[in-house]
Amino acid sequence: MSQAEATVPRRSLALSNDVLSVFYRLLAVGIICVVLSFISDAFLTTNNLLNVLRQASLVFFMASGLTLVILTGKIDLSIGATVGLSACVAATVIKATDSAMLGALVGIGVGAIVGLGNGLLVTKLRIPSFIATYGMLWVVHGITYYYMSGQSVYGFPAEFRAIGSGYFLGIPIPIYLMILFLLAGNFFTKRTTYGQQIYAIGANTVAARLSGIPVNSRLNLVFILSGAMAGLASLIYLARLNSAEGDIGETLTLPTIAAVVIGGTSLFGGVGSLFGTFIGGLILTLILNGMNLLGVSANWQPLITGLIVLLAVWLDMKTRSKTDASS
Amino acid sequence: MKKLFLLMSTLCVAGLAHGPALADGETIAVFTKNQTNPFFETVRVGAAAGAKSVNAKVIQYIPIKPDSIPEQMSQVEDAIVRKPDAILFTPVDYKALVPGINKMTAAKIPVIGMTDRPAGGDIISFVGVDDYRLGLETSQNLFKAMGGKGNVIALEGVKGTLTSTDRMRGFTDALKQFPDVKLLASQPANYQRLQALQVMENLMQTHPQIAGVFAANDAMATGVVEALAGANRKALVVGINGSKEAVDLIKEGKMHASGSSDPFMQGCLGVLVTVRALRKMPVPKELMVTPVIIDSTNWRDHDIPVEKRSCPKLDEVAAK
Repeated sequence: MSQAEATVPRRSLALSNDVLSVFYRLLAVGIICVVLSFISDAFLTTNNLLNVLRQASLVFFMASGLTLVILTGKIDLSIGATVGLSACVAATVIKATDSAMLGALVGIGVGAIVGLGNGLLVTKLRIPSFIATYGMLWVVHGITYYYMSGQSVYGFPAEFRAIGSGYFLGIPIPIYLMILFLLAGNFFTKRTTYGQQIYAIGANTVAARLSGIPVNSRLNLVFILSGAMAGLASLIYLARLNSAEGDIGETLTLPTIAAVVIGGTSLFGGVGSLFGTFIGGLILTLILNGMNLLGVSANWQPLITGLIVLLAVWLDMKTRSKTDASS
Repeated sequence: MKKLFLLMSTLCVAGLAHGPALADGETIAVFTKNQTNPFFETVRVGAAAGAKSVNAKVIQYIPIKPDSIPEQMSQVEDAIVRKPDAILFTPVDYKALVPGINKMTAAKIPVIGMTDRPAGGDIISFVGVDDYRLGLETSQNLFKAMGGKGNVIALEGVKGTLTSTDRMRGFTDALKQFPDVKLLASQPANYQRLQALQVMENLMQTHPQIAGVFAANDAMATGVVEALAGANRKALVVGINGSKEAVDLIKEGKMHASGSSDPFMQGCLGVLVTVRALRKMPVPKELMVTPVIIDSTNWRDHDIPVEKRSCPKLDEVAAK
């Protein structure tokens, strides 16, 4: 879809496309689940489904902030690095002060500051977001390595660990947090002016600016939110893993971007939804879960993951061009 | 922005020049793979301690980007310009850095290999550990603790790395010696804590009875410990590296054992072998640090901060 096609007058159509694309994704999740439940007895159990949702929650927290950035047509490659730095700083604060609350605030704050840095690089210095956040990735990694100097910090108080490994009414707490953020995020993007402006900027930045939307301040906002969500994800990581070291963020960025894209958010901006991102993360998590349950050999796992990701995106593009053509 | 660059370059300098000049003896350039893995931090502390004990000095070269081949290549060129008396070299990639070794020897700087054996190049000696033996002995320790029977799970490191391949080969051979130990699954978790946690959570869904878990490094082993605790299940967990975190978990009884390749000793011996070569004393072609399996019986010997450990004497090294 070209940028001109997705301008404001066609909003209602973009929404119905959204609904359709989410529907196709749910269908994909359904197919994966049916196939897995036939080949593994362990798959369709309450335990395993809660297990999958809990694993998907970490991806969701990282990917939800990133979704907002991608909706504006920008990208944030510093997500993983930000998770690493936030986790390490929060971990040392918690160890030093024994205050989970202070650590949590600092962790989210560090993420928000990195996000603000990204935002300013993009809006003030006009550096393309791909380069700005790629540079930020190395700056943040560098600071993290220097800060940790090869050590790890571990062993956190139980009340802090509850947000990652605790249960309420038999359901893991991260799942509640994910649902909460999913609903709040969905409301923010679909029902508030801010959210609509984010879509409008991604659909056509020039038109958005001409119609009076404060583009730069909204871009700063999405980068700050992306950083803050990475900070929140780092807290869930810490609470689940009970340990932080300098390199934890290194492998997190690309799967996060994959979750957003599989979820149907267009890298060109203006199209997509948080609910789609949730499903994208769920699909990635289901693939790993399935391969583990079936005991797929290490030699084949990367290949299978790659093929399923390609298949998901290809199917999406196909269904998208069909609905576009039929309208 | 200027400030940002200033900060970055300060970080670079801080990353490169860990070792201050203390002695007026030989200068040894020490190359390690990254500043993120506690293992190499301990190697560097060992190297510095070894140098101090014989009045030599070390310059540390560490890629800012972890395990970066081009960065280590350019650091090799920097080192050649600075002309140290010898280079103690851990290649970030055992094949790709062979030309780097050739450059150093062409510049008439003697090279001693450390930790990861390069695939080629003219090195005077190699100090390291046998990852096969490490995998074998750590697995044997696990299977014995399981009473020679029961179900076991293996978590592999990054596919294609020498360390993971050799450790897994050791595990497989140990498995053959214990016919009543049954391998339920061998899955990759890429040396990552988070992946190990998730893979273990998934595997626990299909396998109600798991007696032991072999993880190819400690980061994965600690992920497994968290997964087990989260599901209220018990199994003997072993890892490899002998990290401080693993020793603490062994102390608390949450982890069974960790096979240590003694990074402090590798750093020490690397420098001492280099100094012996420079002082025209005989050196072994290869010096393998004996793996130590740390478990409930001997963790106290390894619960010493690295700063307080000491290197062997220069004369004792050849016999080690």
